[in-house]
Amino acid sequence: MVDRSPNAGASRRHLLGRGAALGVAGVAAGMAGAPLAARAQAEGGKLKEILDRGKLVVGTGSTNPPWHYEDENGALIGFDLDMAAYLARGLFGLDDAALDNPEELAKHLEIVTEASDARIPNLTSGKVDIVCQFMTVTPARALEVEFTIPYYREAVALLLPAGAEVTSAAELTGKAAKIAILENSFAEDLVHQGVADAEVSTFDSVANSILALDSGRVDATAIDLSTAQFKTAQSPDKYKVSSDSWSPQTYSFAVAPGDQRWLNWVNTCLHELMVGVDFAYYQKAFKNRFGVDLPPPPAGFPVEFM
Amino acid sequence: MFDLDWSIVARYREEIVSGLLLALRLTFSSFAIGAVLGLLIAFARVSGKRWLSGPAAFYVETIRNVPLLLLLLIFYFGMPMFAYRSLPEWLADLIVFDGVGSVIVAFSLYYATYLSEVFRAGILSVGNRYLDAGRALGLGRIGIARYITLPIMFRTVLPSLTNTLISLFKDTSIAMAIAVPELTFAARKMSTDTFKVFEAWITVGAIYLVVSWIIAVVMRWIERRIKWAV
Amino acid sequence: MERTLKVIADNLDLMASGLAITLVISLIVIVAGTVIGILGGVGLLFGPRWLRAILRAYVDILRGTPLLVQMFLIFYVLPEVGVEINGFQAVCVALSLFAGAHISEIVRGAVSAVPKGQFDAGRSLGLTFAPLMRNVVLPQALPTALPPWTNTAIEMVKATSLAYLLSVSDLLFRTQNIVERTGVAMPFYITAAIIYILVNAALSRFGLWLERRTRYAT
Repeated sequence: MVDRSPNAGASRRHLLGRGAALGVAGVAAGMAGAPLAARAQAEGGKLKEILDRGKLVVGTGSTNPPWHYEDENGALIGFDLDMAAYLARGLFGLDDAALDNPEELAKHLEIVTEASDARIPNLTSGKVDIVCQFMTVTPARALEVEFTIPYYREAVALLLPAGAEVTSAAELTGKAAKIAILENSFAEDLVHQGVADAEVSTFDSVANSILALDSGRVDATAIDLSTAQFKTAQSPDKYKVSSDSWSPQTYSFAVAPGDQRWLNWVNTCLHELMVGVDFAYYQKAFKNRFGVDLPPPPAGFPVEFM
Repeated sequence: MFDLDWSIVARYREEIVSGLLLALRLTFSSFAIGAVLGLLIAFARVSGKRWLSGPAAFYVETIRNVPLLLLLLIFYFGMPMFAYRSLPEWLADLIVFDGVGSVIVAFSLYYATYLSEVFRAGILSVGNRYLDAGRALGLGRIGIARYITLPIMFRTVLPSLTNTLISLFKDTSIAMAIAVPELTFAARKMSTDTFKVFEAWITVGAIYLVVSWIIAVVMRWIERRIKWAV
Repeated sequence: MERTLKVIADNLDLMASGLAITLVISLIVIVAGTVIGILGGVGLLFGPRWLRAILRAYVDILRGTPLLVQMFLIFYVLPEVGVEINGFQAVCVALSLFAGAHISEIVRGAVSAVPKGQFDAGRSLGLTFAPLMRNVVLPQALPTALPPWTNTAIEMVKATSLAYLLSVSDLLFRTQNIVERTGVAMPFYITAAIIYILVNAALSRFGLWLERRTRYAT
């Protein structure tokens, strides 16, 4: 689940401990004091380092479907993994057969599973080349790492029973509905933004907030749009997603600051993935993980300037 | 160190007070139902009739070895999922309880096993001479239970009852897992809303401690008031 | 029915991995709690005044507050003072301290039931405190301490289920996630209940076996 506190990224933990300042200071010092040879290497930068190494090292999680999670055989899958594989494909010219073969792919793509709070430290310490882990873009985090262009727009939506009469949060408003949500600092506010008069029940896990819906304890569960889409794609006879959503946030990849060449390369990749030459790959992954058919971007005048 | 800000306790006073009252309500309702069940189980186990003592023993040995949290999840999540799928609706409505009801049912069934052990020990401690005296007075089985065994054992089991009551009170903290707004639920809300984790958990911990202590003192006072000796 | 059986069979290995975590936590907690309990119990009886006061406060506070509150306190407050702790560690620490408090009280009771003469006899043999405890007093306290010790151990196995509230993937956590994913509730809950019952039955057998063995020791 997403950290929705307003100072997400600069959490209290970070402010109190070794946090933002240290990470940034460390990098700056490294650049300033670097001898010429290392400086040349830095100009070759991350991109050259990865190509020489023959392997991309990606940080991600393992417990958040449909982003990154283990399937029945314990293999790590998800939308973030699809994106990581695409980056490896672009770096090392892999073909589709290689992408479908886990052993072949593993030669060029190393996955480091990390907790959410390890995302920034692992980047700044160079443990991973890039983080593909449903990372919410915030100004505070952007002080510590550099974000790529977005690859998903998250929001809060309602998971509804497939047979429910209502289809949206707006329709549920005014009916004194009971709504479940994962416990967090803004749980009640978050629900009330969508359904002003809802009676809120907070649960300690996403699983329990969904079970509350399954067992008829609540009329709807307020949840990340991506999770709602995923659950509905899995059991279309059981659930549907509300037609409206609110409280948007942006998911991007993150890289260590100070390497424009590497950042540009990833941005170009993502851009072409979503509206360019590899749109079919993105469309397939999106359908696969979120159960939604994306229409191709309008042709002719570039969508970016519309 | 970190800055302490105890003003949040005042800010969340309402949640804390209503949480404590709900915890006490859960405690005493579950204890009352659990005690009746426990007493029945205890008499069944010492009845000497296999068809009574067998199932009673089985009940105690199974339920007592299952985590209370699992029982709670069964009644809150499992029951409605099972009942509304497999049973006629009127029956499902009858056996599916809301959050507070699920806590009371799960806790009563669970604590009945502990209380039955307490009562069984109490029953067995009543000397044969009292029972003989009862029979000599022409009392039947139920009469002996009602007028002899129960009053005599009540005093012996009181200290154990006090301990069980306090355990039950502390265990109501797990009701927060099913969004029942008791005291621990209030503490978690305080700690996630304000990030004042230390103040929130210490305050609520202290309340549990003090209330447990008050329960113990009151029960000891009752013990002393009961004059009849064994 | 057949479908349900298949769903259960498909998820048994997930439950087994949860059971493994439950067993690991139980083992750590029972061992650590017993060590704390023996030291605490002896300290409660024979320690210097200040130590007795501290131990008394430790035992009474941990026995007077809910385990769940202690667990959350450790999990949320330690990081605030700079001690990084994950859910698994928090559960192990909280449960060990809790078990330690209960076992301290058990050991205290059992040791004080050892006849006074035994202490005098040991001392007259020239035994100092540690050997006196180890060779004379504790072995004789063991038969009294074992039945309540077994009960505490069983309580701790059940208490490991609280780990689920810190998202530690123990048996209950796995069960609950499977229920949510498959939409099949009761069969999994009952399977989990039977597993807990079997583990505790084994533990209580172990306790009885220990009791039999130690009976010959005295």
